[in-house]
Amino acid sequence: MPAAIETLDLTRRFGERTAVDRVSMTVPERSIYGFLGRNGAGKTTTIKLLLGLLKPDAGFARIAGIDVAADRIGAARKIGALLEAQGFYAHLTGRENLALACRLLDLPGTEVDRVLEVAEMSAHGRRRVADYSLGMRQRLGLARAMLGAPPVLVLDEPTNGLDPEGIADMRRFLRELPTRTGATVLLSSHLLDEIERTATHIGILSDGRLVLEGALAELKAGLAGEVAIGTDAPERAAALAREHGFDVSHHDDELIARFAPQEDVRNAAAALNRVLCTAGVRVHALAPRQRSLETLYRQSAPAALA
Amino acid sequence: MPNKPSPRFATALAVEAYKLRRSLALLLAAVAPLLIAVFMFFNLVRMKRPVPWELALEIPVSIWAFFMLPMCVTALTALVAHTEHGSRSWDYLRALPLPRWHLYAAKALCVVGVVAAMSVLTTLFSVFAVQLAGWWKPAVAVTGTPDFAGHALLLARVFAASWLLVAVQLWIALRYASFVPALATGIGGTFFAVVATSAKAGIVLPWQIPVNQMATDPARADLALVLGCVGGLLAFALMLWRLGRREVLA
Repeated sequence: MPAAIETLDLTRRFGERTAVDRVSMTVPERSIYGFLGRNGAGKTTTIKLLLGLLKPDAGFARIAGIDVAADRIGAARKIGALLEAQGFYAHLTGRENLALACRLLDLPGTEVDRVLEVAEMSAHGRRRVADYSLGMRQRLGLARAMLGAPPVLVLDEPTNGLDPEGIADMRRFLRELPTRTGATVLLSSHLLDEIERTATHIGILSDGRLVLEGALAELKAGLAGEVAIGTDAPERAAALAREHGFDVSHHDDELIARFAPQEDVRNAAAALNRVLCTAGVRVHALAPRQRSLETLYRQSAPAALA
Repeated sequence: MPNKPSPRFATALAVEAYKLRRSLALLLAAVAPLLIAVFMFFNLVRMKRPVPWELALEIPVSIWAFFMLPMCVTALTALVAHTEHGSRSWDYLRALPLPRWHLYAAKALCVVGVVAAMSVLTTLFSVFAVQLAGWWKPAVAVTGTPDFAGHALLLARVFAASWLLVAVQLWIALRYASFVPALATGIGGTFFAVVATSAKAGIVLPWQIPVNQMATDPARADLALVLGCVGGLLAFALMLWRLGRREVLA
């Protein structure tokens, strides 16, 4: 698949601090790319580099094949953005706000109706933005990002500040976006659950570096199987397991055994159980853990969880 | 959006003008000239003798150039800039596929346009107030023939001389997201312009340049006009260049 967004060794420093450190990312066309990282990891700076709002100190970024630094306006025509700051004129209606953006983008006025419908905001277009809820403002932001049907949508923390119902609603909406609009979506978030439920691909940023990238399903399939060991003597169990060659560690007061990716979890868990029981350790549970994005995140960006 | 033609500045200007709808900036544009007219009305009706048209037209321009113009420019530029600062729109606007100087130049032209409209409104409202005062109290009805052409020329000179003031205030208002730097500069500048009206150095003080159009020495008025007008154009050009290149980090 060709890349909708591509960066190579993208670097940006603020004084002594390197906010984005040689990031080389590839966002395939028509994917939903979850851009993960804790607050301050460099997500927003990377997005600002993609939008041409900041200039890189090294490397480059391409949107639909157009170099952002060489042709900012050309690249900007290929991208629609919902930024963390919402940027609406509260004294104007939603429709008026979109009409202004439409004019600046040199688009026909009919685009306003189209994007309001896609964002399921047609009923609220004539209300002043000052009267909108946060969820409605986010949807209006999405509608504005979709003006002119750009092939790439960049959404920075679109569920920030939404209530649980609004988050669920937004997730459903985001999942349907590539089908509805044909666009590639770069979705930045620090919420693992949000990305896991929405994204087809992920990139994990930690301290400005891209530490993991790929198709989410493939990455999860490549994960080692894990079981949580329930025992009254976790220290002894861990020592025993390690003596027998098992990879065991403590996470959040849980004793976790991790097996090799190609290993059958059931056989490995049975072998571990046998070792512990034979040595007289009381085991009251061996619970397989799901191969989750959290595991991927924990393995690739351990500092983020500290 | 393939093969789009180059963005037109007129579009950015039209959008900027549209943003003024239902805004506080537009309310200010109407209220400030009205205040001068209200003052004119009550000032005339308290008099015992009529005043000539020449004086009746000069007083509102003096008030406008001396105090109301610098204060209104301070407030107007802060309000116009706050349209984007307050809604945190800059990132969205600056990421759009159009040259960034379009955004800033459109704002500058809108402010200059509103100041021009306020200048005209000051005269219109004041003439109405003068007529109303004469109708209310015939003893103070203005005398003589009004020199509207001369008055329009003076008003135009005050307006052109205010461009440096507008450029300085707008630049500060656009540069800083907080109201404070722009308001502090404007209030401070107006304060010194008022308390040191006859200072020689006032001719280079942006807040005092407009009132210098009423100086008795024509050479001083002409020099102030050049400084305000040409200095304003240069300051606008520098502002567009600097703001267009600036990275907004927060």
